[in-house]
Amino acid sequence: MNRRMLWLFAVVLLLALRCGVQAQGRRGAPPQVPKAAAPIDLTGYWVSVITEDWRVRMVTPNKGNYESVPLTPAGRRVADGWDPAKDEAAGNQCNAYAAPGLMRIPGRLHITWQDDNTLRLDTDSGTQSRLFHFMGPEVQTPAGQKSLQGYSRAQWEFAAALDGEGRVVPGVRKGNLKAVTTLLKGGYLRKNGVPFSENAVLTEYFDRIKTPNGDDWIILTAVVDDPLYLNPSFVVSTNFKKESDGSKWNPTPCSAR
Amino acid sequence: MFYKTTIFFLVLLTIALVSVAPAFAQVDFSGEWAPRFYEDNPERGPGPELADYLGIPINAAARMRGDTWQASQQTLEEWQCRPHGGFYIWRGPSQLRITKEVDPVTRQITAFHAEWLRSVDNPVYLDGRPRPSENAPHTWGGFATGKWDGDMLTVTVDHLKENYVRRNGLPLSDKATVTEHWIRNGDFLTVVTIVTDPVYLTEPFIRSTDYELDLHQLVEPYPCAVVPEIDRPQGAIPHWFPGTNPDLHEFAEKHGIPFEATRGGAETMYPDYRFKVKDMK
Repeated sequence: MNRRMLWLFAVVLLLALRCGVQAQGRRGAPPQVPKAAAPIDLTGYWVSVITEDWRVRMVTPNKGNYESVPLTPAGRRVADGWDPAKDEAAGNQCNAYAAPGLMRIPGRLHITWQDDNTLRLDTDSGTQSRLFHFMGPEVQTPAGQKSLQGYSRAQWEFAAALDGEGRVVPGVRKGNLKAVTTLLKGGYLRKNGVPFSENAVLTEYFDRIKTPNGDDWIILTAVVDDPLYLNPSFVVSTNFKKESDGSKWNPTPCSAR
Repeated sequence: MFYKTTIFFLVLLTIALVSVAPAFAQVDFSGEWAPRFYEDNPERGPGPELADYLGIPINAAARMRGDTWQASQQTLEEWQCRPHGGFYIWRGPSQLRITKEVDPVTRQITAFHAEWLRSVDNPVYLDGRPRPSENAPHTWGGFATGKWDGDMLTVTVDHLKENYVRRNGLPLSDKATVTEHWIRNGDFLTVVTIVTDPVYLTEPFIRSTDYELDLHQLVEPYPCAVVPEIDRPQGAIPHWFPGTNPDLHEFAEKHGIPFEATRGGAETMYPDYRFKVKDMK
């Protein structure tokens, strides 16, 4: 093998091996808009399946029932003072439909891309909308008023796809969505007034799985950090099954009771 | 000159190969994991109430088993040291330790082992071994193999002994198969379990359970000893005959939930059922 051939072989080999990795998108991938870069598809209609916390989700629990929630004494005082009539009179009947509580309320989600950088999540229960803004770490969260749904920064967390031999499969994306929500107004984790404060931070991880019968699911792990009302952090995971269309979409207004 | 070029080529080749080294294990799940009981705490800690079948897709046969069950059954000598089964244990009331088994030559993870306070060792094999024959013995932990899906570990479990889906007599048969998805998000571990049981469930039953990494945790020993707890005639098994259990309404009345809803079934898992519950009241 002469010198020129040796050089050519080395360069071709290097390029081939590097391309295998880069095409996978994990190291040095060309920048793509979040919609195009999505490692999982979250769009569509999803129904929450209530196999957990049934008696505090499917019916409104009694005042003072904060079972399973690590409330601080201050949080318990607020929960013990829950008054749905007062909430209705003050126009606060959507307090339990704020982002940290919303995803636990039985109902359906409709997830769409609002634009290339914004994922939109609508719920039929309480007719709420959440926006997930994809932005780099260098971009600051815009200043704004606190609200029930707050401001959600989103990012894809990528993982390598491997074949049966443990090698990276080029061109196949894996991963999940991570979202961090701030600028929350404060509200309820449950319909009976179990509170979170306006300083709460909600961190969510959206994962996709497929069950053996072919059903598609979103598994949402949500962590609420709120030193005022919760100690330690409150973590729950919620399961949503994909539906083929929106035929069961059933918008209902917020209810304080 | 040729020698220098060859050396340069070898260095280049080494860099290229290192940059695409195969990654067998995506995420390390080993560690001490503390359960977070922020869902279903009354069921998982103190234990479920009698005749609470809410949100479980049981069939009539499972309901009958639940209705005829007596908690006193667990005082039987055969039951006292019985471990929780491989499906139930994720939702059980104790800490979790996951260790990894590493091939000394390849240094690849070949298995994870999960254990709780009251469980047997639950190995999950990642080495591609075949499943045992249908006639192989069934065990409390079953036979489990894992496969990576990105950073998620998908586990298939079968060869389970008969056990329970809820600790109040709702059974799971030895024909059940379980799929698990292990998902690690920072210091949180979420494990999704989906069980299919042609004998007692009409639909797959899904739950997700959360743990948090705890560097100071220890899973304590569980040196269980069998002792006579209740003086009863030999061979007596605590039970109710069908239709004779006087306590079936207690849970519904205590929590103000319509009795019909507490009977469970697939319909009770879906949000539309809450409108039906309102109409029942």
